[in-house]
Amino acid sequence: MRVVIAEDDALLREGLALLLGGEGFEVAAAVPDPDAFMKAVAEHHPDVAVVDVRMPPTHTDEGIKAAVEARRLHPELAVLVLSAYVEQAFATELLAGGANGIGYLLKERVGRVGEFMTALERVAAGGTAIDPEVVAQLFTRRDGPLDRLTTRELEVLALMAEGLGNTAIAERLVVTEGAVHKHIRSIFAKLDLSPADRVDRRVAAVLHYLNA
Amino acid sequence: MMRNAVEALDRLAGGLGTAVLALATVACWVVVGTASLFWIGLPLLPSVISMTRVVADKERVRLGRWGEQALSPYETSIEDLTWQDAVRAARRDPATWRDLRWLCLHATSGLVLGLLGIAFPVMAVRDLSFPLWAGLLPETETTSTVYLPVDSWTGIAGTALIGLVWTLLSLTIGPGMARLQALPGRRLLPPHPSVDLSHRIAQLTATRAGALQAHAAELRRIERSLHDGAQNRLVAVVVLVAAAKRALERDPATAGPVLDRAQEAAETALTELRGVVRGILPPILQDRGLAGSLAALASDCPVPCKVSVGELGALPLSVETTAYFTVAEALTNVAKHSGATHARVALHRRGDTLRVEIEDDGHGGAAERDGSGLAGIRRRVAAHDGVLTLDSPAGGPTRIEVELPCVS
Repeated sequence: MRVVIAEDDALLREGLALLLGGEGFEVAAAVPDPDAFMKAVAEHHPDVAVVDVRMPPTHTDEGIKAAVEARRLHPELAVLVLSAYVEQAFATELLAGGANGIGYLLKERVGRVGEFMTALERVAAGGTAIDPEVVAQLFTRRDGPLDRLTTRELEVLALMAEGLGNTAIAERLVVTEGAVHKHIRSIFAKLDLSPADRVDRRVAAVLHYLNA
Repeated sequence: MMRNAVEALDRLAGGLGTAVLALATVACWVVVGTASLFWIGLPLLPSVISMTRVVADKERVRLGRWGEQALSPYETSIEDLTWQDAVRAARRDPATWRDLRWLCLHATSGLVLGLLGIAFPVMAVRDLSFPLWAGLLPETETTSTVYLPVDSWTGIAGTALIGLVWTLLSLTIGPGMARLQALPGRRLLPPHPSVDLSHRIAQLTATRAGALQAHAAELRRIERSLHDGAQNRLVAVVVLVAAAKRALERDPATAGPVLDRAQEAAETALTELRGVVRGILPPILQDRGLAGSLAALASDCPVPCKVSVGELGALPLSVETTAYFTVAEALTNVAKHSGATHARVALHRRGDTLRVEIEDDGHGGAAERDGSGLAGIRRRVAAHDGVLTLDSPAGGPTRIEVELPCVS
């Protein structure tokens, strides 16, 4: 799988390239700024891009803008955005064009290599990976209908919002897939959402609901 | 009584100083005023008005040491105005006219009282000690302060007696004279009671907004340096350690260099954290005090730098921090841009004002641009209601003066 890395911090860029290279990714380019990133994407046609949020010149949200722009020019490109801190508003901006092939994670998640690779592969395959912290932020802003969910259902909802599929949710919660199915049906009923089969649509629905 | 008399003498002498300045200013007014009758003096009026204000401000500071600090009464600064506008603004300002009345009074009565106040003790000493040295004088020179014939022992004793009178006079009426000398200033120099304080309030509102802005900018800078600096470094450590762990599983020999990089990244993170902390509140300020930390700054400066610190007393931490950053920024500029061979830092406290001076013998031409370190310092100083003056003509030398009120 081909990957392009955009990260302005040299040490971190090198570390990411080293890690992804070691995990069997082909690092086509590792660049320090949005312009070089756009060029690299056009040139190398990577399967997935790993992009830092803060990049020159203003070090604010260049990465988000670059990711959105790259997706507009190359709709098939999967993008995983990494950030030193997560902000639900950035996630909303990023997901405005759909949740498939989008990831938004805290930088330090990279250190849990196993989980990070799963998330990266999920995003590259057209799935979604939203940082638990963003999901937690979304949860704190909502009450009302969420109060009707059981603790277990809330756990399932959070993992759905992160972008996990039924199998992954079942594994994480150590329950059967059938049980997860049941929980999801119950959640959708309680929240008045129409059931969606595909995971990316489901994530979009859940995030949209939480963000509304 | 003795203490009162000595203090009165000190005040009278100080008052004599400002009275001499007032007299010189009156002389300037006479010259410029006469020239103004023939138009040619008019453009010089703002300079004389400024001079008057400087002298009046000196008196305000002097009087502030013995009583309530007089607020600056001026409605507008006349600096940076055309001379017509400056004269118009000054004419409208009642404080200008009050200044002028004070100037005339102080240049005359203040001067006389100051001279007398000093003359009494001098004459007292002269006459009291007269018997000791009367014999050393040639016959014709021997006169007392009141021209008693002193060619006999009775005359000499009489002179000593007169010395006693002078002593009594300076002990008894000295304090009264000092109060009398200060009276015009106390009456005329503070803002007129009818002048409302809206100008002062507007000024305070502006400096408070500046303080909040400086504070926010500071927080932003700290946030930046934490997120983009230390935190990024720590993320790199995490990523590199993860990579090393994976390498250990596959090929242990390749893990070593990766771990080396991880260690480097961790060390860089520590260095950056130290830098951030130093930028918030230099630990050395706590450990060594202001004088010690300035000495440390000076010894770190590649340009030889002499530091002199007077008796500062207890200063609020915020004032110490501002003084520290002012000197740090100034010395950084000296090292980077001035081409100086020597620099000098001086701190002293006058009443409730801390004065910081930094001077170098470089080529000058220092300018204050938006976003420059110096502009940041100016905001910081203004937030304390203080004043920063930069004087850096092309060709040098550069001189920065900061005055910080330090009422704790």
